[in-house]
Amino acid sequence: MNEILEQIAICVESGKINNASPFPPQMKGQDGADELTKQALDSGITAGEILQGGLMIGMEKVGVKFRENKVFVPQVLMSAKAMSAAMEHLKPFFASGEAERKGIFIIGTVEGDLHDIGKNLVAMMVEGNGYEVIDLGTDVKAEKFIEEAEKHPGSVIGLSALLTTTMNNMEKIVKAIKDNDASRKVCIGGAPVNDEFCQRIGADSYNPDPQGVVEFLNSQAS
Amino acid sequence: MGNVNLSNTRHFKFHIEELNISIENIEKLARMGEGMPSYIEFLNKEINSTLLDASIEGGYIILDSDSKNDRIEVEGQVFQMGEAIAKHYTNCSQLAVFVCTAGPEVSKRSMELSQNGDLIEGFLVDILGSVIVEKAMDRIQKTLQEELLKNGLKATNRYSPGYVDWNVGEQQKLFSLLPNQFCNVSLSESSLMSPSKSVSGIIGIGKNAKYKHHVCNDCSSANCIYRNKRIKDPKNAENNCSFQ
Repeated sequence: MNEILEQIAICVESGKINNASPFPPQMKGQDGADELTKQALDSGITAGEILQGGLMIGMEKVGVKFRENKVFVPQVLMSAKAMSAAMEHLKPFFASGEAERKGIFIIGTVEGDLHDIGKNLVAMMVEGNGYEVIDLGTDVKAEKFIEEAEKHPGSVIGLSALLTTTMNNMEKIVKAIKDNDASRKVCIGGAPVNDEFCQRIGADSYNPDPQGVVEFLNSQAS
Repeated sequence: MGNVNLSNTRHFKFHIEELNISIENIEKLARMGEGMPSYIEFLNKEINSTLLDASIEGGYIILDSDSKNDRIEVEGQVFQMGEAIAKHYTNCSQLAVFVCTAGPEVSKRSMELSQNGDLIEGFLVDILGSVIVEKAMDRIQKTLQEELLKNGLKATNRYSPGYVDWNVGEQQKLFSLLPNQFCNVSLSESSLMSPSKSVSGIIGIGKNAKYKHHVCNDCSSANCIYRNKRIKDPKNAENNCSFQ
């Protein structure tokens, strides 16, 4: 692998945002994801190569560590910040169509629920793994998911809920989405839901952690 | 067991400074991990400046109750909370139905920080909000216990809908027992409290009511930031367990 891409992956994995960032202590004074991404682009490496060979590799490692309880929310947020700093340089290439993402993921916390920490973690992890993420926020009704999905053929929808009262809204939303387009893939997540609930309401995938969502999306994209 | 005529409704307001919030504890609850930058200065500023005027308040109303197996009846409302929780109220003839909030400022601040890209700061303020509301509720519970003792009564731990087998939807019944907008907390149709950093629940009262020092074993919540701390450090139960 190209050395600079390897360094970008390490920066994302360890949450090294930029040169001024004091974290992690062993990388103090070194360039971070911000500077290295710019250097990579200047040296002729394409945005797509940086995304695939740097950011995605770093974020995948963080996702696996998070699943295995080797890192916790603050470290994931640090990695997300490092990834965001790099993405700022890549966004113009995605906007112009010069570089492509793996697919589009539409995510939101379901109607009646305002919790968003878990949803945001998933959104960050999915974006860092090469997908365009459309975050509809919290308290999102079925109509809004459908409206957004219709604008993006082939997109996958992710539903989040934290309460046993609002997880029931997932059933209603999944039904509305599937009634509108039976082929639309829907994944669900959140503290009260499980695989059995997922199957019962007709969703396509339940994942207990962000990396699981990435793996589901990858299985659909391939 | 005859009921003692206690002052029926109490309302408390708190200043953030009087809650003795441990910043180190917030970082610990957030599981900051080794080598992470320190956010002590940031949290100090939030507590002593940005959130200094947070509208922290709470209160309770005392009502007669009747408990049977897996349920408790209060003022015509039947709470079906499951045996694991209901068993704690078997010696109780009254309940303190409580609500407490850290105020709307904390949630607004957390959201503002996250939206500005200050993700860790936003996350830490969210945890600070949880700590504020539990600390304030600890104070309210302590006051209630002191008042009860003067009347020869004792109190149980506090429990809330959503814990163990008690469906969070039963919060609707709980709020129906409280005055409208009690302590400026409201409940949505989906049983979300507003402000979001709020707690509600019940405390059992009786001559033979028992307070348990550890209840995490009763609960299946894997996401509780306080979980299992009591097992490792029984002396610090008050600071660690949200079930106090």
